[in-house]
Amino acid sequence: MTKDEVQGATEEEQQAQSKKGLKKQQKEAEKAAKKAEKQAKLGAEQQSTEEDDFAKDRYGVPAMVQSQQKLDRVLVRIQNLTPEKADQLIWLRARIHTSRAKGKQCFLVLRQQQYNVQALVAVGDRASKQMVKFAANITKESIVDVEASVRKVEQKIESCSQQDVELHIERIFVISQAEPRLPLQLEDAVRPDGEGEEEGRATVNQDTKLDNRVIDLRTTTSQAIFRLQSGVCQLFRDTLTKKGFVEIQTPKIISAASEGGANVFTVSYFKTSAYLAQSPQLYKQMCICADFDKVFCVGPVFRAEDSNTHRHLTEFVGLDIEMAFSYHYHEVIDSITETMVQIFKGLRDNFQTEIQTVNKQYPSEPFKFLEPTLRLEYTEALAMLHEAGVEMGDEEDLSTPNEKLLGRLVKEKYDTDFYVLDKYPLAVRPFYTMPDPNNPKYSNSYDMFMRGEEILSGAQRVHDAQMLTDRAIHHQIDLEKIKSYIDSFRYGAPPHGGGGIGLERVCMLYLGLHNVRQTSMFPRDPKRLTP
Amino acid sequence: MPMYQVKPICGSHIKTDLPTCMYNLPNVHAQPGSMFTSEHALQNGEVDPAVKALEARQDEIMRKLYELKAAVDGLAKTVTTPDADLDLTVSSTFCSQSPSSTTFKGVTDLDTLLGKDLGALRDIVINANPAQPPLTLLVLHSVLCQRYRVLSTVHVHSSVTNVPPQLLSCLGPRHADSYARQMFQLGFTLIWKDVPKLQMKFSVQNMCPVEGEANVARFLFKLLSPYPSDAAPATLVDSWVDTAFFQLAEGSAKERAAVLRALNSSLGRNPWLAGPEFSLADIACYCCVLQSGSASSTPTNVQRWLKSCENLGHFSPAKLFLQ
Repeated sequence: MTKDEVQGATEEEQQAQSKKGLKKQQKEAEKAAKKAEKQAKLGAEQQSTEEDDFAKDRYGVPAMVQSQQKLDRVLVRIQNLTPEKADQLIWLRARIHTSRAKGKQCFLVLRQQQYNVQALVAVGDRASKQMVKFAANITKESIVDVEASVRKVEQKIESCSQQDVELHIERIFVISQAEPRLPLQLEDAVRPDGEGEEEGRATVNQDTKLDNRVIDLRTTTSQAIFRLQSGVCQLFRDTLTKKGFVEIQTPKIISAASEGGANVFTVSYFKTSAYLAQSPQLYKQMCICADFDKVFCVGPVFRAEDSNTHRHLTEFVGLDIEMAFSYHYHEVIDSITETMVQIFKGLRDNFQTEIQTVNKQYPSEPFKFLEPTLRLEYTEALAMLHEAGVEMGDEEDLSTPNEKLLGRLVKEKYDTDFYVLDKYPLAVRPFYTMPDPNNPKYSNSYDMFMRGEEILSGAQRVHDAQMLTDRAIHHQIDLEKIKSYIDSFRYGAPPHGGGGIGLERVCMLYLGLHNVRQTSMFPRDPKRLTP
Repeated sequence: MPMYQVKPICGSHIKTDLPTCMYNLPNVHAQPGSMFTSEHALQNGEVDPAVKALEARQDEIMRKLYELKAAVDGLAKTVTTPDADLDLTVSSTFCSQSPSSTTFKGVTDLDTLLGKDLGALRDIVINANPAQPPLTLLVLHSVLCQRYRVLSTVHVHSSVTNVPPQLLSCLGPRHADSYARQMFQLGFTLIWKDVPKLQMKFSVQNMCPVEGEANVARFLFKLLSPYPSDAAPATLVDSWVDTAFFQLAEGSAKERAAVLRALNSSLGRNPWLAGPEFSLADIACYCCVLQSGSASSTPTNVQRWLKSCENLGHFSPAKLFLQ
């Protein structure tokens, strides 16, 4: 009885299985039929392409440019595409920014740096159905050569930088193909913070951006940031050269730590070791002693600080100034602040589009400044902080939160994002800082602040070998290590002072960005050495 | 309409058991206010700032009332005598016949006026639009400089471009000691900025910005000499200051003519506008007459008064401007 039952059960099972199997087979057959149909269709289509594509030589992927021939063809820049060019037939090379196929036409947005323009491939007497399809299938970020006629548009194209014209493409050739899968989408990378979350759209986090910096740098925001950075450098050089400064180059591989001694990178140097320069200060001062009078230099500076903050990098570009003065170190402050004000003015007057572009993604208040620059003294700052309820000692250094608070207080009263804080306590400054002649507690030193963050630290330097020795002993510094530094003041040295700013930090604070990595092209920090 | 009489819900003599661990405080409400303040003042030797603020508010209300009265009287006058737009009979009643003086009297102490010195420069920041240079404040600045050690600085804010050079040097040459901010009693920082209304900031923490040239002038003048303690003359000064700024500087030609007539009649009775002493009223009116460009075509009393103002020597900064 039990056997029967078991048999029955298995039979039922088998039946069920076969039923299932049948269904499966049927389905597969259907699938195969569909596939065949599809293939047939595709084949037919392909055949038809081959048969009646009248625009065959108007599109395609030509041989790689290996400089086979030198064409005299003039390529037009997208930024020059204005209504005056209407109805002209032009050639241009650009990237495919976006593409959208819609039936018999395909809309492309072509991009060159921060400029873009809408282009259209539509089935007609110039373009075939196959050509439209080809255009639609070009991967994003590919570089194409396009021949097109410029047309005025009735309605402004809000999404493009060239709003008054569009291109009607007559030929399109792919010069360099991008891989179909991009590590990040450009539109995602420029989306303002917070907006993506609301609409459920993607934003790109900083590490992804930095890992794929080449693509990230193509965004309008990055283009604007680095154009502005170049402007800062240019303005710095121009202003100082006009003031009679000489640009110098200083070595970056040095034998001894230039400042204090901590936080230097050691590199092997044949049979011994050497250090990467923390600042060009020693060399700037030596140039002053060598009668260059006023010098500046632009170059990399290395700090082996293991701090992972929004404003620290291990390698950054330093803009350094050093100058001899006549009687008072305020001459140095005046020179530096005048230079900074010239930079700010230059940026305000010549880089407005870049500033606006960055503001679209990272909104911030416009940078405000006074001319001449506001100078406050350290004791005043302490009094202001005291009034705001901050208790700190007279000879204590400002902490970062206090710096920010002070920045807010100063902004409130004077409405400036840039100011100088003068007369720091001697105790918190390096040994080469000149003490205040009237009050031994203070020194002839100053910091400069942008949006409440320190960007420059400078001072009148001790230019007397004996006094320098005394100060070094007071700071318990090994005299042997700084012998060459002290010796350079033994043969007569003019009174001098200076300071240095970080290019990345200035750009970050001018634009009101929140991370210095955004203004460093290939940032170096304790956790990042590539790309 | 008759109402119900309701019996008290609880008896009026309930004894509450107060815990012994708490302090017993005297009833705050029962204490008479006047005694409280006088005691307070005696204890500290100075007036409580709260009382001061209250007084200031009262003064303000009084001033407004007087203004209102003057305005109403003025209106009444225009109805009856179309020649006079402004009533000045009030002024004559206040004037005592003491000899006039032109130096500012009264001891003013910056510590009491501006708060305790915290070891930092007391910096008065004035934001002014370069389109409307505040002549009155420039005059007051030069008088302040005679009285105190003032660190004067002029800045240009990034919101404006191309400020004429005379505006940059309007506070005179740089002080020889300007490198040491600590050596000064008072800071006078003028910032040329794109502001709709002149603005003064002093203590960000304890004071809101003061707006309008007239109000800033009042603030600065109090650093020079105390306002008359009597409310009536103080109001008279205030009213002239307002007249100067609202009717002389901003008013139509007709209004201006009326004010000049009023000035003339007032100056016929007194050497200075607010009585026997030179005051803020004179400074404000002088600057506004100068600014309106009608200085040459004024009635005789006003002419005489303009001359005496010039003889004081306070007005060179304003004159410099108009050339």
